Amino acid sequence: MSYELIATLMFSTMMLMLLTGQRVFGAIGFVAVVAALLLWGDRGGFDIGFAAAMKLMKWYPLLTLPMFIFMGYVLSESKIADDLYRMFHVWMGGLRGGLAIGTIGLMVLISAMNGLSVAGMAIGSTIALPELLKRGYDKRMVTGVIQAGSSLGILVPPSVVLVLYAMIARQPVGQLWLAGVLPGLMMAGLFIAYIAIRCRMNPVLGPVLDAADRDMPRAEKLRLLRAGLLPIVIFAVMMVPFVNGWTSLVESSAIGALAAFVAAVLKGRMTREVFENSVRNTLGITCMFMWIILAALAFGAVFDGLGAVKAIEAVFTERLNLSPWMILVLMQLSFILMGTFLDDTAMLVIVAPLYVPLVGALGFDLIWYGILYTITTQIAYMTPPFGYNLFLMRAMAPPEISIRDIYASITPFVLIMVLALTLVMVFPGIATWLPDYIYNKP
Amino acid sequence: MSGVMRGYIQAIDAINFRIGRIVMYGIFVLMGILLWSSISKTFFVPSLWTLEMAQFALVAYYILGGPYSIQLGSNVRMDLLYGEWSPRRKAWFDLITILFLIFYLAVLLYGAVSSTAYSLGYWGTEPFSFFGGLVTGSEEVGRMERSSTAWRPYLWPIKAIMIVGMLMMLLQCISEFLKDVLRLRGEAI
Repeated sequence: MSYELIATLMFSTMMLMLLTGQRVFGAIGFVAVVAALLLWGDRGGFDIGFAAAMKLMKWYPLLTLPMFIFMGYVLSESKIADDLYRMFHVWMGGLRGGLAIGTIGLMVLISAMNGLSVAGMAIGSTIALPELLKRGYDKRMVTGVIQAGSSLGILVPPSVVLVLYAMIARQPVGQLWLAGVLPGLMMAGLFIAYIAIRCRMNPVLGPVLDAADRDMPRAEKLRLLRAGLLPIVIFAVMMVPFVNGWTSLVESSAIGALAAFVAAVLKGRMTREVFENSVRNTLGITCMFMWIILAALAFGAVFDGLGAVKAIEAVFTERLNLSPWMILVLMQLSFILMGTFLDDTAMLVIVAPLYVPLVGALGFDLIWYGILYTITTQIAYMTPPFGYNLFLMRAMAPPEISIRDIYASITPFVLIMVLALTLVMVFPGIATWLPDYIYNKP
Repeated sequence: MSGVMRGYIQAIDAINFRIGRIVMYGIFVLMGILLWSSISKTFFVPSLWTLEMAQFALVAYYILGGPYSIQLGSNVRMDLLYGEWSPRRKAWFDLITILFLIFYLAVLLYGAVSSTAYSLGYWGTEPFSFFGGLVTGSEEVGRMERSSTAWRPYLWPIKAIMIVGMLMMLLQCISEFLKDVLRLRGEAI
C-alpha cells in the first residue's frame, strides 16, 4: 500500500470516528495507535502513544495554556468587565450603532488580557448582548458583532493559538504575538467601519441611546474611564517583563493569571461560587485541550513516520505543477472548508503539522503564515456547522436568539475576515512590520 | 449483575471525584512555581528546578484530572449528528465507540508501564514481569533514568503518576460504558 493511501485512509477513518460523536481525543488517539500497531508492530505501536505524552511534557510554552484559561475564567466569571462595558455604553451610546462599536472596543481590550476567545464570548453574551437587545439593536447584527469581536481573542496578544502554532512551526512566540497586533487592530477597524456604515444607511439597526440613558455628571463620566485602566494594567504587568526579557513567556502568563485573580479579589468579586467555577472549569478545559493534543501528537507522529508531508508536497508541486502562491491559496481555502466541518481544536493540532512544514518548504515566511493561519482559524471558529463560537453562542445567548439568527448573523463578518485575510496575504507588511521594527531596531 | 455494576460505578466515580477535586487546586501550585521562577530570576539566582517542576506539575494536573473532566463532560464531541440523536441512540453509539477509547487508553497505559520500567533500569520487553519481579525480589532496580538537564531529576516518579492517572482514566471509561449498559436496560444508575 502506498504511503499516500495509508495517510488518506487514516484521515478518513478519523473523520468517520469523529462523526460517531465519541470524545474527540478518543477518536484521534484510537486511529493513531491502531495505525502505528499495524505499521510498525507491537514495539513501535505501543510506544507511540506514550512517547507523545513525554513530548507534550517537554513543550515548555504549553504551560501558558492553563494560566490563560484560568485568567479567562476569572475575568468572565467575576464579571469585572461590566465596568468596562458601562464605560463604552456611556461614551459611545450617542453615536448611531455606538454600542455595537463600543462592544468591538470592549472585545479588543478583553483580547489583550486573554489568549482565548471564550472569555470574550462569555462577557459579550452575558453583559453586552442583553443590554444591546434592550436598547433596540438589531439582534442579528449584535450576535454577529459579539462572535466576530470575541474571535479577536486569538489574534491580539496574548494568544494561545499562536503559542500552539509557535510550537509546531518552531518560531519565536514573541515575534508571532507582535505580528498579530496590527492585523488584529485592522480587523477590529474593519468591523467598526462596517457597523458604522450599515447603521448610517439604516439607523433602525443601531438606534442612538436616549439622552436620559447616558446622562450623568461629567465627573462620573470621567470616573468611568478609569475602568479602562484595568485591562491596560493587566496587559502591562504581563507584557512589559516579557518584552524586556525579564521573564519568559510562561512566567508572564502566571503573572497575568495572578493579576486577574488579584483584581477580582480587590473588587470584591471573588465569591465562593466564582472561585469554584473558575478553578473547576480551568481543570475541565485544560484537560480537554491536553488530551486532544496528546492524541493528536501521536497521530502526527504516525504521519511524520509515513513521510506524508513529503508525499503531499510532491503531489502538489510535481504532479499538479502549481506555483507556491497557488498552493498557498488552495491551502487556505481547504483550511476554511475543513474548519467548517472539523472540530476546531482537533483541526488546530492536526492540520497545522501537515500544513506548516509544507509552507516552509515552499519558501514562505512562517511568522507571516502564522497570522494567516490564525485568521483562518478565526473564520473556522465561526462558520457552521462546527464552530466553537457558534456552540458557545447557542449556549449563552438569550432564548429569543434562534440558531437561524446565529447562523445568519455571521455572514457579513466572515466576509470581512476573508477580506482581512486577503489583505494580509497581499501586503505581508501588515503582519511582519511590527516584529521587524521591534526586534531589528538598530 | 446490575448490583455489581452499580457498585463499580459508584466506587470508581467517587474515587475519581476525590482525586479530581484535589488536583484541580493544582493550578495554584503551577502558578506558584512559575511565580517563584520569575521572582528568583529577577532578584536572586535563577532556580534550576522550576521549569521542569512546572512541567511535571502540568502533567500531573491534566493526567490525574482527566477522569474528573470526563465526569464533568468537558471533553468535546463532534455533535453534528450526535447532538440530534435520542438519548437511547446516543447510549448505543457510546456503548460501542467507547471501546475504541478504552483500547487507546490501554495502549497508552502499556506504554506508560514499559517506559516506567525503563526509567527504573529495566531494558527488556516484559515490563509487567519486571514489576512482578521487583515485588518477589527476583529483579532489581537498575540504572535509573534521569532527565538530561542541569537539575537532572529522576523520571520514574512522574511516570508512576502517569500510570496511576491513565489507569484511573481507563477505569472511569469502563464506568461510563457500564452506565450506558444500565441506561439501555432502562435501569437506574
